[in-house]
Amino acid sequence: MKFSPALESLIEALRCLPGVGPRSAQRMSLHLLERDREGAETLAQSLTEAVEKIGHCSRCRNFAEETLCEICADPRRDRSTVCVVESPADVLALEQSASYRGVYFVLMGHLSPIDGIGPDDIGLDVFQRQVTDGEVKEVILATNPTVEGEATAYFLTDMLAGTGISLTRIAHGVPLGGELEYVDGSTLAHALSGRVPVDAQR
Amino acid sequence: MRISLQPAYLLHRKPFRDSSQLLEVLTAEHGRISLVAKGVRRKARGGNTSALVQPFSPLLVSFSGRGEMKTLTHAELAGAPWMLRGERLFSGLYLNELMIRLLQRYDPHPMVFARYGETLAALASSAAAEPILRRFEMHLLEELGYRLSLEVEADTGEALDPNAWYRLDPDAGLVACAGTIPEIQRYQGSDLLAIAKDDIQGSSATTAKRLLRQALAVHLGDAPLRSRSLFRQYANAGDRQTPTQDESSL
Repeated sequence: MKFSPALESLIEALRCLPGVGPRSAQRMSLHLLERDREGAETLAQSLTEAVEKIGHCSRCRNFAEETLCEICADPRRDRSTVCVVESPADVLALEQSASYRGVYFVLMGHLSPIDGIGPDDIGLDVFQRQVTDGEVKEVILATNPTVEGEATAYFLTDMLAGTGISLTRIAHGVPLGGELEYVDGSTLAHALSGRVPVDAQR
Repeated sequence: MRISLQPAYLLHRKPFRDSSQLLEVLTAEHGRISLVAKGVRRKARGGNTSALVQPFSPLLVSFSGRGEMKTLTHAELAGAPWMLRGERLFSGLYLNELMIRLLQRYDPHPMVFARYGETLAALASSAAAEPILRRFEMHLLEELGYRLSLEVEADTGEALDPNAWYRLDPDAGLVACAGTIPEIQRYQGSDLLAIAKDDIQGSSATTAKRLLRQALAVHLGDAPLRSRSLFRQYANAGDRQTPTQDESSL
């Protein structure tokens, strides 16, 4: 059986979502049309609205509707500490930890020469300007502990050397509630080399 | 085809679908291959493969499949990962880019694999980086069938004169030339002889870098090596000096 052209194109369009194959796209389309036309309407509207309105924050490059994102615009946030992360999802994760009151800088990627991603593609030129002419006292490097993330961190370290800004890297180690037996060797090696005196943990 | 516990290094990976990754892997007996690692980004209970399968870690991989793209079935560490820091990390990324650009898929080069491992070990030590990289590049060219003959002239077969100038003809080898052609294209005989004796330092290091850059360029084609320009930017990031070509070790 063939579907109508509009339905076919809806199915095709839904496949742009991650993890949605032809089969799930078809199920979603039929569900929307058969049972939830109202929901489909809302979905269409919010999609259009989101794509039209959401841009990047001019300070931290995170997604934002205004020129500044909510975090950058919040006067209670500490502007002297900037945490550099790879993606908006990382910001969300750090915000959920509820232990950080500074601002962020979102790279939207990491250095990866083989993929052709250089420092300017992840906004490091913008970051350097922001950091050197501003009130920033500490930069926290929270790029992923992968080779590309490390390369990005080293690049930033070198870029900010000599500016007098204190640079810190988040700790790598054993997850809370984890069991040493199941932690991989390289993480354990990091955890061991980055051990801290017991008093300092309090 | 099912291959079990093949020694390998990860060269590159990128996300694929929801929770999978596409891996470019250098193996000892099968050359450079592409693997799909299914579900590695999903957090498995206990250890997860994604944390394990990192560049510069000696691995043992098992894979199966019929087409060009094999499926990773198992991976484990074969030794401690080489810790490359700062500048060395960028050199490592350069090696990986070279391997991806120069080695054909499924073209086994066990010697290159062995050398790659040794080179990583050397980079992780405190020895000077430049000679390590140059030796690897020369070895790579030799394995690919383009050995640089640094003792004799290509057209006459005569031994090189330390005081003469030579230029590199990519199809033949070193050819005598006049001292009047642009400096960037000619090489001093004494430096070339030093490189042949594995004495890569000072002026011979600069010559070796230029020579190998020219020799590799033929095989790399038009697209520049991204890791090389990244390295140059890295070297210049701290002090905003005008980038000079010969500052980096790549």
